Amino acid sequence: MTLITIFLLACITFLTRYLFLHPKLPLQIGPRVERFLNFSAPAVLTAIWVPIIFVKDNTLDISLTNPYLLAATLAIFVSLKTKSIYLTLAASMSIFIFLQYIS
Amino acid sequence: MSFNRKNAYLKMAQKGLLDMLPLNLAVLPWGVLCGSLAIQRDFTIFEAILMPMIVFAGSVQLVVIELISDNAPLATILFTAFIISSRHFLYGLALREKLKNLPLKWRGSLGFLLTDELFALSGERQSYKSKLRLIYALFAGGSFYFSWLAWNIIGIVAGSILPDLTHLGLDFAIAVTFIALVIPSIVNLSILVTVCVAAILSVVFKVYNLELGLVLSSVIAMYSGYFTSKMQIKSNNKSRAMLNKKEEKIL
Repeated sequence: MTLITIFLLACITFLTRYLFLHPKLPLQIGPRVERFLNFSAPAVLTAIWVPIIFVKDNTLDISLTNPYLLAATLAIFVSLKTKSIYLTLAASMSIFIFLQYIS
Repeated sequence: MSFNRKNAYLKMAQKGLLDMLPLNLAVLPWGVLCGSLAIQRDFTIFEAILMPMIVFAGSVQLVVIELISDNAPLATILFTAFIISSRHFLYGLALREKLKNLPLKWRGSLGFLLTDELFALSGERQSYKSKLRLIYALFAGGSFYFSWLAWNIIGIVAGSILPDLTHLGLDFAIAVTFIALVIPSIVNLSILVTVCVAAILSVVFKVYNLELGLVLSSVIAMYSGYFTSKMQIKSNNKSRAMLNKKEEKIL
């Protein structure tokens, strides 16, 4: 039973990724829609990472005891200053682990 | 095939691997979590490996493993997976014009590999527009696939000796990579508006536990960014027209 569920899940994730790449789909994207779609990367990626930082078990946590918040603030500064994913990861992950360790 | 062309292909493949490498590393804790959770929730080893191998989606795997072990109805499981995965429709739409006329082998494989991470590396105007760019994407996306599989397998193998990892904050590394990708990309007002709207709405929807929150906040944020850029173009045109008039008067 679980196996069938997994196969169906695979169909769903593939369908959501592939559907709009299919040439037979009767869909023309005009220049306006294209300009709208240009904002998809910053929009979706932000909508993924911000709740990870601010929301714990469906409640907003903006206290200083939230290790996610302090470490993410540092990550924003480091990424602005260095634009390096590695440095941003290294700096904020070490602070994050340290904060979790002392709390 | 000439030596030069082969060399260029190799270079692009290498660049794809290198660009994806930090993202491959950042999903290590998350992949180990997904693999170990499957074992701890009584999936067989084969089922646990099939999840990253063919479903290949972190957030879907995590949520669905809990649903399956809670014996949720099949319709609930599939619907939840569909909602979580529906953000990919936006990626497909955004890349449609570039990919729709490619041969099936490219469309199919890049479509399968089209994760948040690969899409995050697809922002350039020229991406996917040449054989070299396709090879770049294939190696970037492919290396992400095999990394994801490897991290999951580590979780599966170590699953029975690992403690429950779900509350250790392993999602933080993913948040950081997205911070490092998004923040430097804010180069104008319309992108700033997009990011702010997405940030506020996604948090509100999450607090109210709205399943569709991710897609809804993204689409509203995209429209806000689009609207801002439209207004800017309009006001630019207006001020240019006014300037022209003034110049006429002076002349």
